[in-house]
Amino acid sequence: MKNEALEQIKQQFGDRATDSPFECRLYSRDMAPVPALLVNPLFNTLPDLIVRPSDADEAAGILKLAFANHIPVTPRAGASTVYFNSVPVRGGIVMDLNLLKGVVGLDESGMTVTVKAGTTCRELDEYLNPLGFAMKSFPSSAPVASIGGWFCMMGYGIGSLKYGSLLSQVQAVEVVLPTGEVRRLTRDTEPPLAWFAASEGTLGIITQLELEIRKLSPMKHFLIAFPDAGKMGRALEAILHAPVIPYNVHFADDRCALAMHSLGFSPADEAPAHTLGIDYEGSKEELKQAQDMVAALVGADPATHLSSAETAEREWAEKFNALRLKRGGPSVLGSEIWLPVKALSGYLSDIRKMAGRYGLDLISYGHVVTPDRVTVMTMFYTDETRTIAYILDLSLVKKIHDVGRRHGGCPYGVGLWNTPYLGRMFTPSHLNELRQRKQMLDGRGIMNPGKVYRSPVILNPFNFTAGMEVLAAVRRVAGRSGRR
Amino acid sequence: MSEKSVKPFTNPEKEALICGRCGYCRSACPVYNVVGWESAAPRGKIAMAKEIFSYGNQAAFSAEFVRRMAQCTLCGACAGECSTAIDTRKLWLELRKRIVELGKEPKAYRAMQNNLLARKNISTFPNDERLEWAQDLDDPDALEPRAGAGVGYFVGCVSSFFPQAAQIPLAIAGIFTEAGVDFTTMGGEEWCCGFPLISTGFVDDSKKFIRHNVNKIKELDIHTLVASCASCYHVWKHDSQEALQGYNLEILHTTEYLARLIQEGRIPMHKLTETVTYHDPCDLGRNGGVYDAPREIIRSIPEVRFVELPHHHERALCCGGGGNLQSVDADLAAEIARLRTEEIKAIGATVVVSACQQCEQMLTAAIREAKLPVRVMDVSQFILEAMG
Repeated sequence: MKNEALEQIKQQFGDRATDSPFECRLYSRDMAPVPALLVNPLFNTLPDLIVRPSDADEAAGILKLAFANHIPVTPRAGASTVYFNSVPVRGGIVMDLNLLKGVVGLDESGMTVTVKAGTTCRELDEYLNPLGFAMKSFPSSAPVASIGGWFCMMGYGIGSLKYGSLLSQVQAVEVVLPTGEVRRLTRDTEPPLAWFAASEGTLGIITQLELEIRKLSPMKHFLIAFPDAGKMGRALEAILHAPVIPYNVHFADDRCALAMHSLGFSPADEAPAHTLGIDYEGSKEELKQAQDMVAALVGADPATHLSSAETAEREWAEKFNALRLKRGGPSVLGSEIWLPVKALSGYLSDIRKMAGRYGLDLISYGHVVTPDRVTVMTMFYTDETRTIAYILDLSLVKKIHDVGRRHGGCPYGVGLWNTPYLGRMFTPSHLNELRQRKQMLDGRGIMNPGKVYRSPVILNPFNFTAGMEVLAAVRRVAGRSGRR
Repeated sequence: MSEKSVKPFTNPEKEALICGRCGYCRSACPVYNVVGWESAAPRGKIAMAKEIFSYGNQAAFSAEFVRRMAQCTLCGACAGECSTAIDTRKLWLELRKRIVELGKEPKAYRAMQNNLLARKNISTFPNDERLEWAQDLDDPDALEPRAGAGVGYFVGCVSSFFPQAAQIPLAIAGIFTEAGVDFTTMGGEEWCCGFPLISTGFVDDSKKFIRHNVNKIKELDIHTLVASCASCYHVWKHDSQEALQGYNLEILHTTEYLARLIQEGRIPMHKLTETVTYHDPCDLGRNGGVYDAPREIIRSIPEVRFVELPHHHERALCCGGGGNLQSVDADLAAEIARLRTEEIKAIGATVVVSACQQCEQMLTAAIREAKLPVRVMDVSQFILEAMG
């Protein structure tokens, strides 16, 4: 029956469906280059069929057939994550949502826009900006991240500090449930749209969103250098407690600045240091107030350095390009941690100690996404072509997470690879609540199975920890001996 | 984090590994935007190249891979977007070269190479008929090669041999004559610039063509060369430096030279009441850095209303005609041109000006198909019209 259903979809969608192994291979990975040696024995990441629906009705038709025949369905759009969030682990159908593109309507008086889910965040802003509007916030991968995909992930990014998560800005979504039923959900429906935020495509397919927008307003950018992480952390808290809320604050440690500098991507020829990039948007008065605050902050400590306005502008212009760092690779591994703001300098200090223990260079940068939380990416260089060394390096990803946990942090996003940390990310009651939602909406478990709710056997915390500790011990010896 | 002015490039194996698969390239890629599959996206192609070249998995080298590698206009939009600063245009050229070295290139590429080696131009005409277009002039013999002329006009294969493009060299010859420019051509001694060979991976062959043209320019004692084809201009500017060996040669696109003549007051122009937009040819704009000259020319014509297309300058959409795509997948090239035509329709232009024969041919066909009341003209033709 499964094969018949797949064949039926293939026939129906013609050149918008394929089971070509050549094509399917490319849908069996996201940004993370995890070796086949690790993946293939455990998971079936090769889709049986890829299909590209162009509207909710077509998506519904696919899901009805998949539901009736117990076929896994993995939604995918930008595929710009690293935890296999949009990679199948049990084969089945990959639903490529990139044809769900475009603005459906703009409500200028209500300050909302209705947009198809596969529209990228940059495409939406390119539509809004000439009309004098803008997204309230957007991810640091806006050139490729789809609005629907960002909603299904955590939904924090640039602008979240001032305007909140994407969930807080979305007024309604159109969703296709696993049964094929198309629903319009709001904050007050049963189920509410909030269930689908950060659900990583495990509850249904989001096809359209109505979200709040803002008036496009002038911006002012600042870039401040600090001699150490402690001073940067204290300045950060002062900035966050000032009367004018920044639109965005991003930070980089001195190792990040040094790497960018050595690769030729520094905003200016200045000595590498811990830096804060602070971006304000609003009225002239607000911008003036912000400028005065920053001037006072820098003036109070001669050890800090305020870059020129041009340099700060250049830093802002590069906001989507943190991956420039990868040129120092060829490969990078790392962890993104959801960390309390207060813990940032302590975290960076411990990361520095960890770097010493393992004989590697750890680079950290990130964004302040709420008044209390930062997302920190801590990464290091590796080489995926040296498979054994690369697998040993993978153990250090857990070690970074461990540092994060000691400072009150947890992984940012689950997918497959962060399921060993479910206990760190959710309280038992919260996790139970999520599982109940899954059971209620997708009892047959066809939507993006293997993600978010439970770790597979090999990744259960006990097995995972034991395995990673052994690898880390070997890696530690290898790192110290300089044999890498 | 400012970007280096020159993108670093190592080799295909390393660059493929550096790719972060972020997908920024995908949104900008005209081929992906038509085809829609990951294998047509730059990041998909790099993933395949990584498998084949970085990991040495020759089993992954397939006809499908070659087909996708040929489905690229070399527009360079992906390079502008790349978050890891990979010079993807250079990567595509290197990969096509590897494919040729392995003897796996598309048949159309080999046919084109054979024709070029035999005739020295991309048409089926003998190369000594290069000045056939000039028969429309009062004194065609005046364009025969002449040593010591102030300007050498490099006409290019398309303008020389394809009747629909002949109006461009005629316009340029007319403007130059009117402006009193002391110019000549290379006549039958002009060979293809080499771009079709470079873009299909026959790099060694292209060097012979480049050397020949450079030697002829030296023999003619030409020190200012003007090319009206964006791709010819790109080859002269970027690929001929080794052959020139320090020879003093100013290399200009016609838009740059014509803008200079206008600035010097040597081209009187009357008003034109048109709504005009400009389509940036990829090899002149994004890959050549020439954006201002054509716009200055258009804006200098009295009463012209100039409007930019939604995507312009570095982010201009490709016409679909680059990278020898037409020779392997004409339908795909035409689909890409339709995307650009939708933008032209949206802004209500009455004239689309460009500066590349290939772009003009692609856009003309797409606009005709869409039945739009829009004329497509080369900058030189537009100037000639304004000269009355």
